[in-house]
This record gives sequence, structure tokens and C-alpha cells, in this order.
Amino acid sequence: MRPMPAPLSPFSGFPRSAPLRAADAIDRITAATGRAAAWLALALVAVQFAVVVLRYVFGMGSVWLQETIVYAHAAMILLAAAWTLQAGGHVRVDIFYAEASPRARALVDLLGALLLLLPFMLVLLVVALPYVGRSWSILERSREAGGLPLVFALKTLIPVFALLLALQGIAQAIRAAAALRGPAAPAPAADRS
Amino acid sequence: MPLQEVLAVVLVVAVCVVLMAGYPVALTLGGVSLAVALAGDLLGVFDLSLLRALPPRIFGVVTNEVLIAIPLFVFMGVMLERSRVAEDLLETMARLFGALTGGLGIAVLFVGVLLAAAKGIVGATTVTMGLIVLPTMLRHGYDPRLAAGTVAATATLAQIFPPATVLVLLGDQMSNAYQAAQLAQGTFAPQAVTVSDLFAGALVPAFGLVALYLVFLIAVAALWPASSPAIPPDPDAPRGLALARRLAEVMVAPLLLVLAVLGSILAGVATPSESAALGAVGAILLAARRAGAKGAWAREVLVPVLHRTCQITSMIFLILIGATLFSLVFRGLGGDDMVDRALTNLPGGTAGAVLTVMLAMFLLGFVMDAFEIIFVVVPIVAPILLTMPGIDPVWLGVMMALNLQTSYMHPPLGPTLFYLRGVAPPQITTMHIYVGIIPFVLIQLAALALLWFVPGLATWLPHALYGGG
Repeated sequence: MRPMPAPLSPFSGFPRSAPLRAADAIDRITAATGRAAAWLALALVAVQFAVVVLRYVFGMGSVWLQETIVYAHAAMILLAAAWTLQAGGHVRVDIFYAEASPRARALVDLLGALLLLLPFMLVLLVVALPYVGRSWSILERSREAGGLPLVFALKTLIPVFALLLALQGIAQAIRAAAALRGPAAPAPAADRS
Repeated sequence: MPLQEVLAVVLVVAVCVVLMAGYPVALTLGGVSLAVALAGDLLGVFDLSLLRALPPRIFGVVTNEVLIAIPLFVFMGVMLERSRVAEDLLETMARLFGALTGGLGIAVLFVGVLLAAAKGIVGATTVTMGLIVLPTMLRHGYDPRLAAGTVAATATLAQIFPPATVLVLLGDQMSNAYQAAQLAQGTFAPQAVTVSDLFAGALVPAFGLVALYLVFLIAVAALWPASSPAIPPDPDAPRGLALARRLAEVMVAPLLLVLAVLGSILAGVATPSESAALGAVGAILLAARRAGAKGAWAREVLVPVLHRTCQITSMIFLILIGATLFSLVFRGLGGDDMVDRALTNLPGGTAGAVLTVMLAMFLLGFVMDAFEIIFVVVPIVAPILLTMPGIDPVWLGVMMALNLQTSYMHPPLGPTLFYLRGVAPPQITTMHIYVGIIPFVLIQLAALALLWFVPGLATWLPHALYGGG
């Protein structure tokens, strides 16, 4: 695990071009979704602990609670992936990247977003939509008796995941392009709250 | 070689080359695989409709109940980080052993073992130990190479001691591979191998490693006393009974936590996720005991812990999702048949095949993370190896875990070394770290060789605990 320093977020005082404003808007959407999803980690701990207490102290099992854990886990991963990209949390092979100049890094990010991330996520979106559509058409529910009737909603998070990551990829590409165009682009501030 | 298989080779080479550019691994895996799939479609050797399997596969990955243990164990480790357990332990252990030549190094080893068993993530342990332990060792006149090597190797123990994240992921992959291997051989009531088996299997080799490290530290202290001097006693420090009480105080909480988590898994009463939830709640209690103002706790401790947990989990699973597309395309191009033929036709039969895979994993460790190797390499090679006669899935899993653990610390690219360089005091150079870690890497290789010749080290405990063949 070698997370890289986070890409810096915008400096609010500067007049900004339209693409950079779009990137800022995307960053806000992804960060808000990710921060909200992070609370699911607490839900995961709490519900799994409740299941343990119910099972070993009261001898009760609940398919419903067990599935809630699966849902919280899946939703957390799918909704936070784009935010993690924004925060620089996805591992890179940093043999060259760590030592590279800011321009070289921007070039890697620009090409990576356009040639690797976006095609991957667009194809996923294309194949996921009919998959989710089939699930919605029967309002697919859990196969277990007493399970949650929301499998279609959970599956819907797959195209949402693809869409969020694709958007974040666009934001990444915009910032990388701005950095490549040189010092004319406003210097990003270190604060990223 | 048919065109299809040429493309499978192109896929592997292209992934390795593009990874070097430094774009996030998960997205590189997915993007490059997709490009090769499109090329295969244009050349008429790949069926793009195979990609329709992608959404159900991803759904399977994120709803896999075994892997729910991952965020829970990550949460436990990150939360423990906030509880200052490490600092307290080290301070007390150093008092206990410090008066002996080489004693501080031994204290560090013990603390590392406790932290490894409680945390399961290398990064967190390395940072803590590098920040607290390394300056202490240097201040007391330890040889910088010995100090750096001890800290790096000890921190890496988190990768082999249950509940290491690597063991959970490997256990899940091995269980799928074992099922597939038995079905391929026509066994329709297959035996299972679980994450708990792998935890139990890793325990004896992990303690074996600690024993070897200990022997090494004692030998160094005996042969070169100047490299690991004793600490002059501190007149204000608690001694005798007071020291014993302090020791009990700092040891009891983490020990209880480790015993509860590991004990419940090994006793077979709880699943890894259930034990992890217990551990997570325990870690919250330990961190809460340490906290000051109640109101600030949520903002200053809980929210950052949740954010870290969420991002680390998301990072791991995104690699798994990227690797899903990679395996889909690799198999679609017949790559798995090719690997199968190559491995079964090796000279040396089973031993030759295992040795080749081990060597390949070791070499891949120079450029890839353990997670990437587990997700990309293991699903392809493990089902093939497990159909060969005389290979125990637990033994193979523990061998792989030990191998991957070694890859975390061998120069020049072991991630632990990078983490350590990031937090080490300025008088520690990269060369100190590289030279200092070499004896420990040799110990690792010796342990691998030992496990190769004495498979019982890994298989005895799971068989004794859970029975079975």
C-alpha cells in the first residue's frame, strides 16, 4: 500500500475557468458521497456486533440483519471509490511516479483518466444498465426467506459506482490538463477540507 | 502459438509495462484488459459478449460475506492506532528488557508481535514503530542499520500474523480455487478450506519467524555488544512491583483483545467477521479510555478513523474489481489453459510447479503489492496447483503468505521500507534500511525453505483444531 499525496483541491479566491469550475463541482459531489458512505463503516461494526450479541448471548439469528451488513459493506465500497481516487487513496506503482516532475505526473493522470479509467467505467456502465434493468423489472428481492427485498437497489449501485468514478476521472483529467498548460493555471492551495 | 494466446501474453506484458507509469493499479488493470479485449475482438479471437459477465462478478465481489472481515479488521487496526497502545507497550517493555545488552531490540520485537496480532495492516504498524521506536533505539546508541532492520522486519510481521488482511484475502481465493480444483477432478462433495484454516495454519510459522528473529538479535548482541547497548537504568522509573503492575496494566488490554479475536476464530466458534466486530468494539473502548473531552471524540477520533477505514477498504476492493476484468479477459483468451500447460509440463513435476509459482510471486513482489498478486496471480495458478497430487491447500496458502510477507520487506521496493523511510529520523539513510533488512530477508527465505521441507508446520494446527483430512 503506497497511497500518494492527495491531488490538491481548488483555491477559492481565484477566478476560475469553466472546466475547472466543473471539476470543483464534481469534487464536491464525490467527496460528499464518500464522506456519507464512510459512516457505513460504523454501521458495519455496530450491526455485526449486534449480530454477534444476538447469536451468542440470545441464541437468535436474523437473515435480515446479516443482509444489512452485506448491504452496508457493498454500498460503502461502491460509493466511496471515486472519493478515494480524489483523495489519492488508490495504490500506484510509484517507482517512477514518486520521483517524477509535477508535469510528468499530470501527463500520467491525464492519459490514465482518458485511456484507462473512462473506457473501463463507460463499458461497465453499458453492460451494467441492462443487468440492473432486468433486476428492476422483477423488483428482485433476496433469495433467502426473511431477507431484504432490495437486491435491485443494491445492484443499482454498480452503475452509480461507474458513473461516480467516470465523473471523478473527468475532474482528474481537467486538473491534469490545467497543470500541463503551465503556470498560468491558478496554483492550488494546500487546504483540502 | 495461436493468435489468441499471443494476445494473452500481450495482456500480461502490457499490464506490467503500463503499471510502471504510476496510474492507480486497479484502473490500469481494468483499462489495459479492456483495450486488449477490444483488440482481440477486432482480430476475431475474443468474444466481447463475455464482458456482460462483469456486473454480476462485481456484485459477487462486493457482496462476498467472507470479505466483510476486511473493513472490520481495518477499522480495528486504525482505531487501535489512536489508542496509544503501542507507545505504552514500548515504554514498559523497554524498562523490562532494557538493562540487558540487546534488550531494547528484544522489547521491540515483542511489542511488534503484539501489535501485529492486534492490527493486521503493515502500513499503520510501520509508521507507529518508525516514529516511536526508531528514535528511542538510536538515542540509546543502537547501530542504525540494526535498528532500522529490526523495526522494518518486526512491523512486517503484521502481514503473516492472523488476522492479517492478506490471510483473509488469500483464504477466500484458496477456498474458491480448492473447490474448482476438486470439481475439475470429479469430486462432487468437495472439502472446504476456510479463512480460519489459514489463520490457524499461519500461526506456527509466524511464531517460528519470531523465534528466528529473536535468535538473530541475541546473536548480534552477543557477538557485537556495541551494536545494541544496554540502557542505563532511569532512577525515576518504576521498579520491582510497581513495574510489574504497570506491565500488567499496559499488556492486559491488547492481550485480551488479541485473545478474544484470535481465540474465537481458532476455537471455531466465531467467523472472522464476527471476531473482527468484537475486536473493533474492543478497539473503540481502548481508544475511548484514552480520549480527553467527550464532545471532541467524534470529530477528532471517530470521523478520521471512519474515513481511513472507508478509503483503505475501497482501495482494496477497487483492485479486486479491476482484477475481475483482467481475469475475465485473460481466461477469454485462453490464458489459463496456457498457464496450466506450462505448469504441468515443467521438469520436476509438482515441486517444480510450486517452486516456479513461488519464484514468480517473489519476483512480482518487486513491482506489485501483495493485494494485486493475490487478486491477479492466485486465481490463475492456485486451481492448477491444487489439482496436483500431494499439495495441501493450507500449506500452499501459508507458503504464499510467507512469500508475500517477504516481498513487503526486500530491497529496493518493499513497501515497509518505503513507509519506514517516510517516517524515520534524518540520520537514518536509505542505505541503513537496505543493509539492515538483509539478515531478516535471509531469515524469511530460511523459514520458507523450512516450511517447504516440513509442511506439517502449517498443516498441523488446523488439523488438530478442526480435524479433517
